[in-house]
Amino acid sequence: MARDSRRLSRRQFAFLGTQAVGAVVTLLLGIPIVGFILSPLFHRQQVVWRQVGDISGVPDRQPTKFEVSFPLDEWTSSNVNLAVYVVKLNNEYLVFSNTCTHMQCPVRWQSDLGQFLCPCHGGLYDITGKNIGGPPPKPLPQYVHRIDGTTLFIQNSFTESI
Amino acid sequence: MGRLDAVYDWFDERTAVRSLVRKGLYEAVPKRGAWFYTLGSATLVLILLQLVTGIFLTLVYVPSVTEGWASLNYLKQHDAFGSIVRGIHLWSAYILLFVIGLHMVRTFFSGSYKRPRELNWVTGVGLFLLVLVMAITGAFLPWDQAAYWTAVVVTNVPAYTPFIGSFIRALWRGGDFVGPITLSRTFGIHVWLIPAILFPLILAHLALLRKHGEFGSYVNYRGAYRSREGVDVPPVPPQRPIEPPYPAVPTDELWAAPLETEDFFPFQTFKDGLVSVVLVIVVFLLAVAIGAPLEPIADPSTTSYTPVPEWFFLPLDELLLLVPQQLIPLALIVPAGGVLLLLALPFIDRGPERNPFERPAVMVPGGFAVLFVIILTLLGSGRLFNL
Repeated sequence: MARDSRRLSRRQFAFLGTQAVGAVVTLLLGIPIVGFILSPLFHRQQVVWRQVGDISGVPDRQPTKFEVSFPLDEWTSSNVNLAVYVVKLNNEYLVFSNTCTHMQCPVRWQSDLGQFLCPCHGGLYDITGKNIGGPPPKPLPQYVHRIDGTTLFIQNSFTESI
Repeated sequence: MGRLDAVYDWFDERTAVRSLVRKGLYEAVPKRGAWFYTLGSATLVLILLQLVTGIFLTLVYVPSVTEGWASLNYLKQHDAFGSIVRGIHLWSAYILLFVIGLHMVRTFFSGSYKRPRELNWVTGVGLFLLVLVMAITGAFLPWDQAAYWTAVVVTNVPAYTPFIGSFIRALWRGGDFVGPITLSRTFGIHVWLIPAILFPLILAHLALLRKHGEFGSYVNYRGAYRSREGVDVPPVPPQRPIEPPYPAVPTDELWAAPLETEDFFPFQTFKDGLVSVVLVIVVFLLAVAIGAPLEPIADPSTTSYTPVPEWFFLPLDELLLLVPQQLIPLALIVPAGGVLLLLALPFIDRGPERNPFERPAVMVPGGFAVLFVIILTLLGSGRLFNL
């Protein structure tokens, strides 16, 4: 019996059908899984204000460390302590994080150097947070903050992304 | 025929287990230099040690930023045997990294990656990388200070990937910062995702080994005698009593079949077993004598803690220190280039020559690469531990 070459054979139909079934299963599983993996990226971190404390006692040109508790994540009830360095320069206040802009190690104020030092790879920042030595590519990050009278409040977010 | 044989026959009739065992154990392997060929099985034994101790660690460990550290601290304070299990997990991981590296260097030296074994090498490079990922993700899990700051720095490294860096970082961390989702994700990667790829890849690696046979090194082949003056090339090896993996029919090819072979079981398995048992004893002694450390719980607000990288992270850490501020992506591009070169090796070095002393174009750059990694490690440890 002559076959019409334009028509699918039974074998070809089954061959394509098997692949189509595989594709459907892959898509039905793949779309939610990929969406699930990516979802935290589209889920902005919960930004809240917290009181740091009274900063009237912070001496001029002596970075002073405070610790502030923030909610860890929406689905846990626990908190995380963040470090805040408050720097008084004349009558301006700068409010730094302890996060190095190189590899995010915890920086510390070295009063003997008069600089912020990152212990991981030797990054240095001056008192205004400017990156002045070592590998850090950006200045020390500052918290979004406001001052009511002499009370400092910060948000758990930085003025510039790092 | 004994009763046991009858049971075995019954079982074999239904499962063909006999031919499987025969295929797995009765193969010819090169006779000379066999002690060098124990590194692969030692790697396998150490990985299985990881699997067993890892499974039992999940019986107590909780992947949570509030409970994870506490669960391991409980282990440390109140469970002597559990502490040993955790110690074995840590120390066999350290020794595994060392042994898998030696296995790779040995294979590189002997030119075992050449045709038809290119994919043995490629799967091996894949296994090496997966083991590294296991080591790095495992280091996050205790959630002590060391673990937390390792997590911060390691997840921040891919942020310097050109164009998509911060995307990769956020994907791993599950947000902009290291937090609860980072730990959940890393735990899932460490105990499910990577093992689900690692173990099938090990099976593929072993299946390829069985298919092509252990290459050994140039000393096992007629090719080794070819260029030496006054030394006759030995005759073509005779037909083997145990057939594949090598060509069963004698061939003139210089590198096709080893001159002298012996049975994998029990001769090679005995050597393999001896090396492995020594390693397991060393791991056990280290686990009992030193154990796995646990520092105070993670504290992001610290301004006094100095993070110290895991020793296997030292070369990359030193690279991070050495590259200038404008070229930080180099610290990623250099290792990534190294990995690509490793994967491409069997397709670049395609000549038949297996003698390492006659392959300077490959051995010299390879030697420099190994030296580079060792020097970075020494510089890093010198800087961090004031050696």
